[in-house]
Amino acid sequence: MKYTLETKNLSAGYGAMEVFWDLSLTFEEGRTTTIVGPNGAGKSTFLKTLMGLITPRQGDIRFKGESYTDQPTWNRINDGLVMIPEGRLLFSDLSVEENLIMGAYPKKTRKSMEKNREQVFQLFPRLKERRNQEAGTLSGGEAQMLAIGRGLMEEPEVCLIDEPSLGLSPVMTNEIFAIFRELKQEKMTLILVEQNTNQALKIADHVYLMQAGKVTLSEPREAVDLQRLEDLYFARKD
Amino acid sequence: MELTAQAIFTGVLMGGFYGLVAVGLSLVFGTMKVINLAHGELVLLAAYIAYAVESQTGINPLLALPIAMVIVVGVSLLTFYLTNGIAKDKELNSLILTFGLGIVLTNGLLMVFSADIYSTQTAWFMEGVVVADTLFSMRGEIVAFVVGICALGALYWWLNHTWHGRAIRSVSSNREAAKLMGMNPTKAELWSWGVAGVLATLAGVMLYVISVIHPPIGHGLTIKAFIITVLAGMGSIPGVLIGALMIGVIEGLTTTFFQSSLAGLSSMTLFLLVLLIMPSGLFGKKAGH
Repeated sequence: MKYTLETKNLSAGYGAMEVFWDLSLTFEEGRTTTIVGPNGAGKSTFLKTLMGLITPRQGDIRFKGESYTDQPTWNRINDGLVMIPEGRLLFSDLSVEENLIMGAYPKKTRKSMEKNREQVFQLFPRLKERRNQEAGTLSGGEAQMLAIGRGLMEEPEVCLIDEPSLGLSPVMTNEIFAIFRELKQEKMTLILVEQNTNQALKIADHVYLMQAGKVTLSEPREAVDLQRLEDLYFARKD
Repeated sequence: MELTAQAIFTGVLMGGFYGLVAVGLSLVFGTMKVINLAHGELVLLAAYIAYAVESQTGINPLLALPIAMVIVVGVSLLTFYLTNGIAKDKELNSLILTFGLGIVLTNGLLMVFSADIYSTQTAWFMEGVVVADTLFSMRGEIVAFVVGICALGALYWWLNHTWHGRAIRSVSSNREAAKLMGMNPTKAELWSWGVAGVLATLAGVMLYVISVIHPPIGHGLTIKAFIITVLAGMGSIPGVLIGALMIGVIEGLTTTFFQSSLAGLSSMTLFLLVLLIMPSGLFGKKAGH
């Protein structure tokens, strides 16, 4: 089995607070891994650490077989490791279209910028309607669409997605997960952090459950028993 | 009537020049939230280099632009490295740092060039030009105005239509998101300081051909640039142009109808009035945005 991304004994935190400890996770090429878990489990911090936005306390991050622990964020992006942040991480005083254009900032994606932008507009006609509007004026769902569209402009090989359904209506959530399914069919490696366990499980090949900075369950999707997962999730004991 | 038209005309020409002086400060303020209190001294440094080149070789001071650019951009980048090294309370401490740097530059100029007053010896700039039959100006003022407008236009285009320019705006909008787009924020900031240095150089050489220079005026230039930047609204280039034209025209009118010593007072009054009505400046974002 080929792991395109893996962590070895990774720990990180803010100031005196440790957020997660000793995480050794593996992500297979071309497959979808979801990390589920309650608020405050350290999922988003883990993704940010994978991207180099947070410096790990210890441990190693390996991407395509090489250590990326000391690589700045922009090198990871240029090599195809991309993160779609939760919707508030937009360029709020730039227009919708400019936000998308900035997604094509990595050099290798600039040539296909026009084509990719049209594709994003096809996926999200709403963004096309609002292309000249400032991104800061978008609704929560629209902001989420823009974050996803902008991430796709970066032509990810491995795409980390942070809480895509946050603040979205059920209809919109379904639409966005339909897009992820398409990306999955195109063999993009997806790492999905979600609180919406149902949707996340449907699309996953492998599932991690993260609680209070630790991985408490790691199983292929077929083996996951939703009932047991939810018991663990809510720390219910019989 | 004719007098008013002349005052406004002179004011507009000066406004174009003021915009050029201010826009470098505005760029760095808008992108890095650092107010470079040595900006006026950078402008003056470029003016002195133009003087040095002209007095040593006798060539047109405009030809001093390349060498002035190398030196002033160098000092601008040095300022960036110094302010970037501030670990705590950058916004406040950078004020102290750049203020000190301004004093160092002023006294450096005083040491090298003495306190004498200089102006260009190239007569071409001082010849009068009559525009539209009635409006009079010096050729230097027209040149400074044209250079100012072109520089502002070029900067506006650059910020909106090139990868480097857009990267600067992205980094100032959201640093973390900019990293996720594959940008190196420090590199983008380096660019904005470098471009601010280029703009200061242009402003300095124009200052030399339209006016007189002596070491203490750098501080006044910084203040003018700062007023225009605040009047404009943070980092807005169209705002800088409009603000600079307003300051230029009100100074022109005051000088013509009252006396030149009141020009500073009237521009300050205008500044405070505008801020009273529009607290975030002419083109500024609403507070809390």
